[in-house]
Amino acid sequence: MTLAVLRKELAVLWSSSLPYVVGAAFQAVLGVLAVNQLEVRGQAVIQPLFPIAGFLLLFTLPVLTMRSFAEEARTGTLDLLLAIPVAPRPLVVGKWLAAWLSSLVVLAPAALVAGLLAMWGDPDPGPAVSGFLGLSLLAAALAGVGVLASACTSSQPVAAMAGVFAVLVLWFAHAGTATVEAGGLVAALSLSERLRTFAGGAIDTADVAYFATVAAACLGAAALAVDLRRWR
Amino acid sequence: MIVLDGLCRSFGGRPVVRNVSFSVGPGEVVGCLGPNGAGKTTTMRLLLGLLRPSGGSACLGGPAGYLPEVFAAYDGLSVRAYLRFVARMKRLPAATVERALDAAQVREIADRPVGRLSKGQRQRVGLAQAVLGEPPVLVLDEPTIGLDPAQVVEARALVRASADAGAAVLVSTHLLAEAAAMCDRVVVLVGGAVVAEERPGDAADLEARFLRLVATAELT
Repeated sequence: MTLAVLRKELAVLWSSSLPYVVGAAFQAVLGVLAVNQLEVRGQAVIQPLFPIAGFLLLFTLPVLTMRSFAEEARTGTLDLLLAIPVAPRPLVVGKWLAAWLSSLVVLAPAALVAGLLAMWGDPDPGPAVSGFLGLSLLAAALAGVGVLASACTSSQPVAAMAGVFAVLVLWFAHAGTATVEAGGLVAALSLSERLRTFAGGAIDTADVAYFATVAAACLGAAALAVDLRRWR
Repeated sequence: MIVLDGLCRSFGGRPVVRNVSFSVGPGEVVGCLGPNGAGKTTTMRLLLGLLRPSGGSACLGGPAGYLPEVFAAYDGLSVRAYLRFVARMKRLPAATVERALDAAQVREIADRPVGRLSKGQRQRVGLAQAVLGEPPVLVLDEPTIGLDPAQVVEARALVRASADAGAAVLVSTHLLAEAAAMCDRVVVLVGGAVVAEERPGDAADLEARFLRLVATAELT
């Protein structure tokens, strides 16, 4: 059932112009900023690409996921599924998988930068592999947050804004924590700090577990939010 | 079989469905009539588990086919792809899709995207997804809305055929002539409560009785 939802979501999403527009905007901005970084540094290194791409994903994923539940709730197609009855979990997981896979497609052309750098210089391949793995895991977590935001409202703009706001808070969770007691605990929630490890060429299982936990927690909450619609 | 027993639902302390009890047997078409805001759609949503009741219970004798008052599908999918998706969700074999295409007479538009269909064509797709797999229970909210006269006749025939095949059918409608033509029995809701449950008779007779019932209930 999850697979059927995934296939439907991919078909519906990619039959609209949204992922193409979002993907083009993502690559255009990433390309300009990445080239700028290369010029400033004067080195064929890929590491600066990852925080930029990660930050752009904060806006990309909530836009890709905003319609997942909000649009279905607004049009009434969600009611048809719940009346069958389809349990919330396969719906949530199918929609999350579709958003995650779509974000990987949007992200994929950025790998060309690694290829171009390899042509012009001799960059270390380790950070490239770990960096893209980190971006993939970040996208999984962001897709979870986006699906949760969409499950909590019937308005796509509200879902997108709530999703962006939530992931921005998580991205900058480390800011100012050095001066606060127990700041280290809050800083550990920072998405950007977790991504920094991957961009540096290291794969820490704690970071992998963190991204997976954010995604899983959001999906659990989203399934609950869908179920709670009955209580309204 | 559909059984509603003392069903109640309030929104913000305001009762919308009040102690509604009736049943629909296999092979029976029961019409749910009432003025706007009478609680017909809420009753159907309670029945389908889309809302939790504040009191009472609703029981369906098997999986239900549901057509909401405003039917929507996924604009980017073709009619056939949409019905295949619904079939997978209902865990039905793919062959049921072809039968539903014929039953709702949407085969000629099966490969067109749902987003490019007229209102009437969309409504027929809605009927197709409701009867997909020939469920033992059908819950149809205004099933003929947006259909032209010929399509209305076909939709009535489809509902009748489903009942003749053993389905319990609950139909909500504003059209008294339609209720008279299609239903074995009608349940009249006013202010969220059942005020009458009887055979529809002919359309003119039903209209006179309906207006009298609504006027009396609103006075009390």
